[in-house]
Amino acid sequence: MILLAKIALGMAGAAVAGAGVLCSEGLVQVKVIEKQPQGVHIRMFAPAMLAPMAMHLAPRQSLAEATREIHPYLPVIRATMESLRQADDVVFVQVEGPGEHVKVQKLGGSIIVDVDDSDATVHVTAPIRAIASTMEQLAAADSNSL
Amino acid sequence: MKEIMRRRTRIAAALCLLAAGVMALVIPAMAAPPEKYLHVHVDDPTDGTKVNVDVPLSMAEKILPAINNQDLHGGKVWIRHADMSGVDLRAVLDAVKTAPDSEFVTVKDNESDVRVAKANGNILIHVTDKRNKDQKVDVTVPMKIVDALVNTEKNDELDIAAALRALSDAGDILLVTVQDEGQKVRIWVDSKNTQD
Repeated sequence: MILLAKIALGMAGAAVAGAGVLCSEGLVQVKVIEKQPQGVHIRMFAPAMLAPMAMHLAPRQSLAEATREIHPYLPVIRATMESLRQADDVVFVQVEGPGEHVKVQKLGGSIIVDVDDSDATVHVTAPIRAIASTMEQLAAADSNSL
Repeated sequence: MKEIMRRRTRIAAALCLLAAGVMALVIPAMAAPPEKYLHVHVDDPTDGTKVNVDVPLSMAEKILPAINNQDLHGGKVWIRHADMSGVDLRAVLDAVKTAPDSEFVTVKDNESDVRVAKANGNILIHVTDKRNKDQKVDVTVPMKIVDALVNTEKNDELDIAAALRALSDAGDILLVTVQDEGQKVRIWVDSKNTQD
């Protein structure tokens, strides 16, 4: 009985540690709610670490076109990611109009985009580190496939 | 012996306090200068739209040189179709820089008033549309920024990255205001990361 309890405790500890590692780069959060009667409702939370891992596991050929397209912009993307990482929290863009609201901000190491208009409400949170890692995986895929 | 120890402890405590005081004075002075932000505010009362853009200048300084696209390379923009008509822009700006504060250009006609002046190290441009007196444009550009902008090897390029650095080093400044019947636009630089 005690042995079973120890095994269960060990498994629970491993699960908590695994979840901690998975969430160490934060969470990607996507929420899309269309305001039409039968509109799409999407709510997604995923550990940000999964994005670069998925890029790493994805077939190189499937990524080839995307990686080729992104290649000329890599210096800009890298510079942007680096400066975003170093920047203080700030609201980059805010648009307030009749029936529309748009906000793009950096908050606590994440980029947050909020859009609310007559058609839909969209909320996206993505950790900057995860975006940068994903871009680097894309770049690596490009160099490997060429 | 005890008396000597006590005295040494007191001296050590006094030295620690002195050191803490000196550090408290020196550290803020050694700290990095505050981040500067370029703010753009557009207000359109006719439909109630407000647009705020806040960009850390250091971010723009780092990203700009990485952009190599068409006429923009390494933070410098090539003025492809600039027809200077034989005018040496640098010589003109140098003359403006060394000239005392005064009005350089005043144009008044039936349609508009245009005024270009130099005051307190800034170039000031003021345009009023007479047909519609609500339309006004005011531009203030510090000479240091103009200097940085044109201080390039080639005559047909402007160093935007250097201008941004100069802007970062300049104090808080209102650069542009545009006002017409409907919209108001303000562009300015300060150390706040919000427009409040």
